[in-house]
Amino acid sequence: MSETVSQGKKKRIIIVEDNILVAKFFQMALERAGDFSCMVSEDVPEILREVTAGEVDLVLLDVSLSNAEWDGHRVNGVELCRILKEKSPRRLPVLLATAHAMSGDRERFLETSGADGYLEKPVYDSAQLVAQVRELMA
Amino acid sequence: MSAPVPTKPREETFIEEMKRYLHLGESDAILLKRLLPRMEKYLPEMAERFYAQIPHHPGASRVFTGGEAQVLRLKSTLQAWGRGLFNGVYDEHYADDRFQIGFRHVRITLDQKYVISAMGVVRSFLMEKMFDEFPTREERLAYSQALSKILDLDLNLMCDSYFRATMAHLQTLNQELEQASVQLAEANAIKDEFLAQVSHDLRTPLNSILSFTKLVLDGLCISPEEEKEVLRDVFSSGQLLLRLVNDLLDISSIEAGKLALELEELDPRAVLDSTLPLVAVQAASRNLRLVDETLEQELPRVRGDEIRFRQVLLNLLSNAVKFTPRGGVTIRATPDYPLGFLRIEIEDTGIGIPVDKRDSAFEKFVRHDRADLRGIAGSGLGLAIAKRLVEMMHGNIGLDSGTNGNGSIAWFTIPLATPAKPPETRRA
Repeated sequence: MSETVSQGKKKRIIIVEDNILVAKFFQMALERAGDFSCMVSEDVPEILREVTAGEVDLVLLDVSLSNAEWDGHRVNGVELCRILKEKSPRRLPVLLATAHAMSGDRERFLETSGADGYLEKPVYDSAQLVAQVRELMA
Repeated sequence: MSAPVPTKPREETFIEEMKRYLHLGESDAILLKRLLPRMEKYLPEMAERFYAQIPHHPGASRVFTGGEAQVLRLKSTLQAWGRGLFNGVYDEHYADDRFQIGFRHVRITLDQKYVISAMGVVRSFLMEKMFDEFPTREERLAYSQALSKILDLDLNLMCDSYFRATMAHLQTLNQELEQASVQLAEANAIKDEFLAQVSHDLRTPLNSILSFTKLVLDGLCISPEEEKEVLRDVFSSGQLLLRLVNDLLDISSIEAGKLALELEELDPRAVLDSTLPLVAVQAASRNLRLVDETLEQELPRVRGDEIRFRQVLLNLLSNAVKFTPRGGVTIRATPDYPLGFLRIEIEDTGIGIPVDKRDSAFEKFVRHDRADLRGIAGSGLGLAIAKRLVEMMHGNIGLDSGTNGNGSIAWFTIPLATPAKPPETRRA
């Protein structure tokens, strides 16, 4: 196993995903790559604290969220992406993931959210996921 | 400041126009009025001639359903119409009366061609009688012309009323068609939404199955324990996928009307006893109490489909367990002998469901938002299926607040096998 490859600071990723198993896979796949540390959360104030502190290198964001709330109402991944982009003090790459895969979804979600990349579920290849995350961080 | 506003000339009414066209004037009105005492005696025979024609048309049996009494009534109406011809007043009121004929006949689907032909018979009959009344040509001419004009006017009024009635009928049909097309579009949109939702929901467990399998295959697990844990997730995702597919098949065969229920007399005790253990494991693993309050009761027999009754019970019970983080789930049964059903209640101490969400909870894919599901979600079809099954067994289903205001009560009713007979009375 190639754990803790670099002695330097690991890149921080926030995984916003309401399905615990999907979140678990994202976390395992990314952390096994060695140089990422992940936090799984749907708690918008908590996510914003991390983002505004400039502590986050990338957000992996699901479109349909069941427990995310902001300003007293429910937000989905598209809305949350806009909020995060607006509040982040530095460039914050956002990778949108969704199992909504009807035609036209991809363009619509990317355009309305301002996200940097788009993952269509099922996402099951760790290497591919890691590669896409690295690309967006570069 | 009032320059006289030029008044737009009033448009001629239909009867005004026709009277002008036919040269039907005051002098004709006077002549026709004078005809009444001479012609009145022919009116009963005129009615006979008219109805000698009408009942022979192909749709007669559909139109003349009132038998002899109806025909008698119609004959006297026709005589009244005849008297109207010789009334001397041919105004808007006269027109309104004639204008109703078409609407009446379109409503009973009496085709105008038969009425028009019968009117022709009436015309030649009346004209023939003019010869009897006025043997000389000089005498007859002015009267015959006046009678001819009023009969023409009447025919025109009648035909116009058929036209307007047909237009109104078409307009109604058109509206119905428009409405049907809107409903079709709505149904189609619902179907699209359903498809999108199904595709989303199938992908979610599939995602876990594929990703965790790949993780193991790629050798990315750090220990055999972790590998095992990940495989357990694969297994539960597979189970969820199976449940989803089964529920989808159920809901679509219910909606296509293809699910046949076998309604028979059954013992609810047996259904309860065989269903509760299935949920008991689930409840125990979450440290929830599962209380069956029906144990001390003698339950009346009910009428339903055993498999579907169990499915409803299981759906409601596992929902209750799923949405209850702590506390317990209680099952109650209350027979209502006067109304003839057994009410089964499942109360939980869970997160409850707001009043405004209770009806929509029975719709497809409406999920409980703040559920403590984390991962093992349901199909979102459980309550929708339960509602349809209960209704197919002639019962009702609903959600209420829990006894102390927290938690919720899911209930459904199922008809008693022998209504209005409490078990005590049976034994007595």
